[in-house]
Amino acid sequence: MGLELHAVEELAALHGEPEWLRARRREAFEIYERLPLPSRSDEEWRRTDIRGLDLDSFQTFEQADGSAPADPIAETAGVLRQRGSEPGQVELNPEVAARGVIFMPLSQAASEYPELVRSRLFSEVRPERDKLAALHAALFSGGTFLYVPEGVSIEKPLVSQFWSSGGGAAVLPHTLLVAGRGSSFNYIDEFLSPDLDRPALTSGSAEVFAGEASNVGYVSLQRWGRHAWQFANQRVRVERDATARLVSVGLGGRFAKNRIEASLVGPGASAELKALFFGSAQQFFDFHTLQQHVVGHTSSDLLFKGALRDEARSLYAGLIRIEPNATHSDAYQANRNLLLSKTAKANSIPMLEILNNEVRCTHGATVAPVDPEHVFYLESRGIPAGTAERMIVHGFFGEVLDRIPVAQARELVESELESRIG
Amino acid sequence: MRGRNLADFEIKDLRATVENREILKGISLGISRGQVHAVMGPNGSGKSTLSNTLMGHPGYQVTGGEVHFKGRNLLELEPDERARLGVYLAFQYPTVVPGVTMANFLRTALNAKRGYDGKDKSKAITPREFRELLKEPMRTLRMDDSFLSRYINDGFSGGEKKRAEILQMAVLKPEIAILDETDSGLDIDSIRFVAEAINEMRGPDLGVLIITHYSRILEFIKPDFVHVLVHGQIVQSGGPEVAAQLEKSGYSEWGEPVPAVAGEEVT
Repeated sequence: MGLELHAVEELAALHGEPEWLRARRREAFEIYERLPLPSRSDEEWRRTDIRGLDLDSFQTFEQADGSAPADPIAETAGVLRQRGSEPGQVELNPEVAARGVIFMPLSQAASEYPELVRSRLFSEVRPERDKLAALHAALFSGGTFLYVPEGVSIEKPLVSQFWSSGGGAAVLPHTLLVAGRGSSFNYIDEFLSPDLDRPALTSGSAEVFAGEASNVGYVSLQRWGRHAWQFANQRVRVERDATARLVSVGLGGRFAKNRIEASLVGPGASAELKALFFGSAQQFFDFHTLQQHVVGHTSSDLLFKGALRDEARSLYAGLIRIEPNATHSDAYQANRNLLLSKTAKANSIPMLEILNNEVRCTHGATVAPVDPEHVFYLESRGIPAGTAERMIVHGFFGEVLDRIPVAQARELVESELESRIG
Repeated sequence: MRGRNLADFEIKDLRATVENREILKGISLGISRGQVHAVMGPNGSGKSTLSNTLMGHPGYQVTGGEVHFKGRNLLELEPDERARLGVYLAFQYPTVVPGVTMANFLRTALNAKRGYDGKDKSKAITPREFRELLKEPMRTLRMDDSFLSRYINDGFSGGEKKRAEILQMAVLKPEIAILDETDSGLDIDSIRFVAEAINEMRGPDLGVLIITHYSRILEFIKPDFVHVLVHGQIVQSGGPEVAAQLEKSGYSEWGEPVPAVAGEEVT
């Protein structure tokens, strides 16, 4: 079964989706069929090579695999586990459920809570964006819906774990978070699959609606296997006086293209976009970010840090866009890259589009090897060069690690980094 | 110094270049434990080259000579091996290393000295030992605990950086300590704290080499021997009286107009 329309129908049937969602999938599939693959003549894809991508080689469905790992986070308010393309299994703390929190597979929510899902789903991450976004919307293999009602604050994190056995299928989870007015919570998406030799197609897209005065933490831990192609779009819409903190961790995949975007639509809205990525062998990371200040008195703070060894490569392109009416906006953007080998390469393209002068914008980018003066200073105190370099790389990531709101998730990432830094 | 017995730390005819320019032109100097030596010299005489070469900075090329310490030729060792052998350099300009806390740095350095490589936990320093070790020197140097959670030299004032250098020395307990312009950039109170800490460490197990432009620090840390470094060579050696003489006449005797007293060094 390749990427055909009847596959779309079968996937929708498997998840028991309502007719309106099936129609959405069909529309998205039409867009997918109509659009060409992005090519290097498109500015956004000029430095991103997808010539090796063969969309017809992927299966549209993956059966659950018994070898899925244990939960990454022990202390949670709720967990959703999805294996392959099969509907996710949910455990939600009854006390949290009693406060009106809805946490369930996305397709189930589409049936049970259409009033919450229908107007929002694929409104921020639009299928028209490009062929791969359309494919994701047509063939999304499930995902999570979380709704936290007005004034509800959840202390422990909610976690979704998406596991693919990596056997050559398209596994495309989608997350939809809706934060009611004044609500507050942290949510973690974990994406993982083993390092098999067969390429797989993955995503991990998310739409986050941070309602008025809400405080939302969204963390994505991308640990897809070494032969995965990943195309993901994460976008947060931040309303008046709300704060959204996104932390994106990129570790896996052979090729990972992520768009991470924040749209600040109400005065007092603030977004923090942080990311760390570590690449080795021939991994390629592409991050395109957008900090869109639609109205004034909004702030955004972006910091993307990556370290690359072997022949790994990365591309960062970030745009701060200040709309004409957005006076007194405050935007900060920084991309820092550490090269751990002579053959690793990082490209950094910061961009500003400022249509209002009464704003404060700062941006900067660096690409550099580990500073030999730093290594020498640690060595001069008896620390061997290898240990010194590990400490420096770990320290380099420190300011992003510190922003991961859940201690256990932070520890997980630290130990992953530890083993990758070697 | 001819005909003397071999010292514990013996520099023999040391030559070094920076970017193919010869800076050290054959330096011989012996330092034994229990002694304090001062090397004084004007700007550009090779003072920093001497300290960096002894520690093994990759930017300095040794072109000749040997440095004997504990039966090894120091110049054949990596910087971390030199440090673990008991050599310490207090830097003139301590490096800022973002992201690595002072506590993590000191603990890792102590563990490296104790031969802990992450495997045999019994060799690792315990949190209690670590605290005990730091208590006294931190008090002497007027440093509070918040220092330990800060990144290495990050946002430190000039005085804090120099005090942090001496704190590391107190904790690592070297046998040969090279203090490179430790008094530069310090106010008089900080010089006192630093000198007090160093004087507390003085004893039969520690040899000190103070490298300085001005004689000011020598009022607080009395040297046993003073050497004058000009154009990459030691041109005069003697007792403390050499420093006193330099204070009067400066380096003019060797064609250097700069006086050896007063003010801050400008580099």
